[in-house]
Amino acid sequence: MNKFFKAVAAVALGTVMMCGFAACGGGEGVGGTDAEGNKIVKIMVHVDESTAEGKAYKKRVDAFNAAYKEQKIKASITFKARTTGVGGYESVITNKFAEGTLDDIIAFDAPNCAAYADKHILYDISEIDPAETQSKFYSTSLNTYDGKLYGLPIQESSAGIYYNKSILNAAGVDVSSYTVDNPWTFEQFEAVCKKLKDAGKTPLDLQLYNARDEMAPYLLYPFIYAAGGEFTSADGLTATGYMNSDKTKSGFEFLKGLVEKGYTSNAAGPVGATDFFDGKVAMYLSSGWTIPDLDNKYPAVFGNHDRNTWGLLPYPMKEQKASATGSWSFGITNNGVKDKSAAKELLLWMTSPESSKVITDATGMIPARTDVETNYAAGSPEDVLMQQLSKTGKARPATVAYPNFSSNFCSVIYSFATQQTAATCNLTDVLNSRTNELQAEMNKHSKH
Amino acid sequence: MKKQNVIPVEYTLLRRKRVKGDKIAKDVVYYVCGIILSLLFLFPLVYMLATSTKSESAYVADAGSLAMFLPDFANLGTMFNNYGKVFTDYGIWRYALNSFLYAAIVIVLNVLINGLAGYVMAKLRFPGKKLLSFMIIFLIVVPVETSIIPLYSIVKTMLGLKGVMSVAGVVLPAAISIFNIFLFIQFFEGIPKEYEEAARIDGASTMGIFFKIILPLSKPIIATVAVFCFIGVWNDYLWPTMILPYPGEGEWPLYPIQSALNTIQSIRGITTGEVMASLVVTSIPIFVIYVAAQKYIVQGFGSAGLKM
Amino acid sequence: MVTTTLIILAVFAAAFVAFAVWDVVRAKKKREKYRVGSTVTAYLMLLPAILLAFLFILLPILYSLGYAFTDFFILTPNDINFVGFDNFATAFKEIGDKGMLYHAIINTLIFVVGVVPLQIGLALGLAVFVNRKKRGVKIFKVCFFAPVVISLSVTSFLWLEILSPASTGLLNSFLGMFGIPPHDWLRDPNTAMLCIIILSAWQGCGYQMLIFLSGLTNIRNELYEAASLDGAGAWSKFVHVTLPGLRSTLVFVIITVFIGACRVMVQPMIMVGYQEHVVTLSYYMYQQGYEFRWVGYSSAIALLMTLVIGTITLIQRRILREK
Repeated sequence: MNKFFKAVAAVALGTVMMCGFAACGGGEGVGGTDAEGNKIVKIMVHVDESTAEGKAYKKRVDAFNAAYKEQKIKASITFKARTTGVGGYESVITNKFAEGTLDDIIAFDAPNCAAYADKHILYDISEIDPAETQSKFYSTSLNTYDGKLYGLPIQESSAGIYYNKSILNAAGVDVSSYTVDNPWTFEQFEAVCKKLKDAGKTPLDLQLYNARDEMAPYLLYPFIYAAGGEFTSADGLTATGYMNSDKTKSGFEFLKGLVEKGYTSNAAGPVGATDFFDGKVAMYLSSGWTIPDLDNKYPAVFGNHDRNTWGLLPYPMKEQKASATGSWSFGITNNGVKDKSAAKELLLWMTSPESSKVITDATGMIPARTDVETNYAAGSPEDVLMQQLSKTGKARPATVAYPNFSSNFCSVIYSFATQQTAATCNLTDVLNSRTNELQAEMNKHSKH
Repeated sequence: MKKQNVIPVEYTLLRRKRVKGDKIAKDVVYYVCGIILSLLFLFPLVYMLATSTKSESAYVADAGSLAMFLPDFANLGTMFNNYGKVFTDYGIWRYALNSFLYAAIVIVLNVLINGLAGYVMAKLRFPGKKLLSFMIIFLIVVPVETSIIPLYSIVKTMLGLKGVMSVAGVVLPAAISIFNIFLFIQFFEGIPKEYEEAARIDGASTMGIFFKIILPLSKPIIATVAVFCFIGVWNDYLWPTMILPYPGEGEWPLYPIQSALNTIQSIRGITTGEVMASLVVTSIPIFVIYVAAQKYIVQGFGSAGLKM
Repeated sequence: MVTTTLIILAVFAAAFVAFAVWDVVRAKKKREKYRVGSTVTAYLMLLPAILLAFLFILLPILYSLGYAFTDFFILTPNDINFVGFDNFATAFKEIGDKGMLYHAIINTLIFVVGVVPLQIGLALGLAVFVNRKKRGVKIFKVCFFAPVVISLSVTSFLWLEILSPASTGLLNSFLGMFGIPPHDWLRDPNTAMLCIIILSAWQGCGYQMLIFLSGLTNIRNELYEAASLDGAGAWSKFVHVTLPGLRSTLVFVIITVFIGACRVMVQPMIMVGYQEHVVTLSYYMYQQGYEFRWVGYSSAIALLMTLVIGTITLIQRRILREK
């Protein structure tokens, strides 16, 4: 019996210890003040602390704390890498929201704005300093829903087709005439691929193996728009007749054709994902974040900041020009804290011109503010991206069912991502069943 | 006249030799089959252990050869580097500590609560007992997965358990187990009435009898229940991930070790060897338990068979 | 929510009191008595168990039943409406449209049909194999049981590496030794489910092996000797002595493995994600209810699932018992 009570005592001690640990960490509530009387503002970002982007965020938060020391406001930053699967970033947000412990400011991916605003996760910031602040951002980048403003972009993005100059030269391919104003057409794009393949090179890596998170929809959706297709109605509540329309199908058919003809690399997951960087693949569809990688990380193939070894081409067009846009934004949340003044300070700080510069330098993306200095040489890769952003950028569909759209888009890509699956893929059936699924989800939302 | 019944000695000897030879052959076949089967069952585990000792370059170098299954003997000095990294950099010790604490709490609560209930059902007479036994039989067949989402809603919305209190949401549902009540009932029914009657004559109260007489006699069943509780809590993956909060800056992570595997897996730049090391660390305590408490586990299986 | 709970609690308390009163009345008729003191003690000792069981076992079942007929969406907990059979209609429409639910049902069927015979067959075969008094048999037992020690999530992570599409993954590099090119086992719809079936059977059969072993020890040796005298060979002995002797154990094992297989969720979740070719019923239910937050719809699926599995289990018990 003594042993038994000893066990109980041990457990009680352990519980107290754990509560101590948890309490020691500053507590899990929101809207509180710390021991020194500072108002705590919590911000959550979608990257790991050890990444360049994470370090940039930390730098800015530390600078905020230094600047606001006198006003007794202290920011605390939480890092949650955006993984897929159990316990992913979006899941953490909705969990925290459901239990009332959501951070004051969250980073969210622009397409999710509609869903978050509709569920009242985001706080309406329409009256935040319109003249000074709102006018400084690209108007299409401001995160609005139903006429109200819910977020300010951290950065903007664009994507394009990177190419290895020496491989293209060796195959006798000349892409110099393709510009943002005069992009190549689907046919010309295919012709380049064919020429490269005939010369014995692997033409293209479209990152199709990434069809399990937002990367695939982000990089590939412009092809569908370029083919004249649509995904949803303007109010984001109808998918039938849009996502399975003929023009949308033709966009997907084009991509499937590239796979079937063997133009895409056989990358499967981590295998071959770095083939472009190893100089084995001629062209690589990716976003602006690849620019710092090509400049710094692969000296063997691409030298050091050597733009003679690689270039960037715009998205090909068919019926219209289209390119990828949309990146992450910061927004204030409806987490039950009444006084939003401290959160507003932090929001403006983290989207200020200085923050914009620090963060975009780390990520290689484009600032979303027009008042941030960018010295991009004409015709440089950064310039191509900026031109695309202002001239041909088209946002992903704005719908409250966006997460469902994203996973269904991935499923479609997935059905023809490798030559084996592309051979047996019935695109009409796949598109119809995916559209039905998306429509079912939209119906659930419209009933609400 | 009786000549036919005489069997020549040489014939008998020969036959014995043949039979013995047969037997040895059969034994060899048996052991060879056994070894092949064992290898088939063990190879993933051996692979896990071996890879956990390798750096990424050693792992890639060994791939495609039998060395995949051998630890990195070439670099004896750095063999346990991955484990070091997993413990310090990724802090797996915090999650292990959490798991141990949760398991300890659950075991104590489980034995107390279910033991008390089992004792009452086995030994006491009171009105309403029939309804309770009916409920026990009814609830024992309830599938867990179908209740996991309403349970989430009950814990979070109705009981409002958030932050550190979420631990209560992990521990309390694990503290009640109709199956364990059943085990206790079976065991207590086997304790002769004489013990209690003697105590009652001495003036002991019911609670007193339970703690001073019954519990000490119940060491075997308590051990079995404790072992299964530990295994259940230690291996629980989904529910804690759903319920426990994501740690903020400087906060102690409340996740138990299985849930932490998610976090560890997604760390940028983690090597295969480190992933394997974290898997090994997660499995070691269970392995120890299985070895040390074999007797109780086999007992538990026996009772499980009786259930139907 | 609290009010609903209190109402349910009141109903149960009333039922209890009714039964208790009935017991007292019956006892009075038999000239027996219940002592108040011991009754109070009994209920006090039962109180924690009753409270926890009510909150965490009974209540979720009842709520699940209730939510199935509403449109409960966790992010708007106050906006909950009764929608009758709408959720079920949506579910059947999705099956008809060959949506995710359809694939979930098919994949779960495939898994169950694959795993149940495989795992039980393996367990039975291994149990017979180690049911001998030879030296070293204990080592084999330990080897076959070892995978059970590894939890399901660790198994999933481990096999995720083994089946890695990289040429350095265990399976691919092993096949590479014979010149077979690397293959993405988990992304390929034709091989993914098969791999999951095999690794699940690998992980679980040791457990059933022990159950069979304890059942085998109950078969008397005389039965085997009698069969030998009748000239029966090993296979005949197995069919006519072992199997009938294991009857009740077999029934138990088949039913428990079947129910467990219907609930498969962790393996596809960790190894692949929410994709058409691996999504299972439990995973679909979890995804709809927890990730997408449609608790009402998810509860309707849960109800359907319980009904179907329960019916199949009852039918199984009938058939297996009658043989």
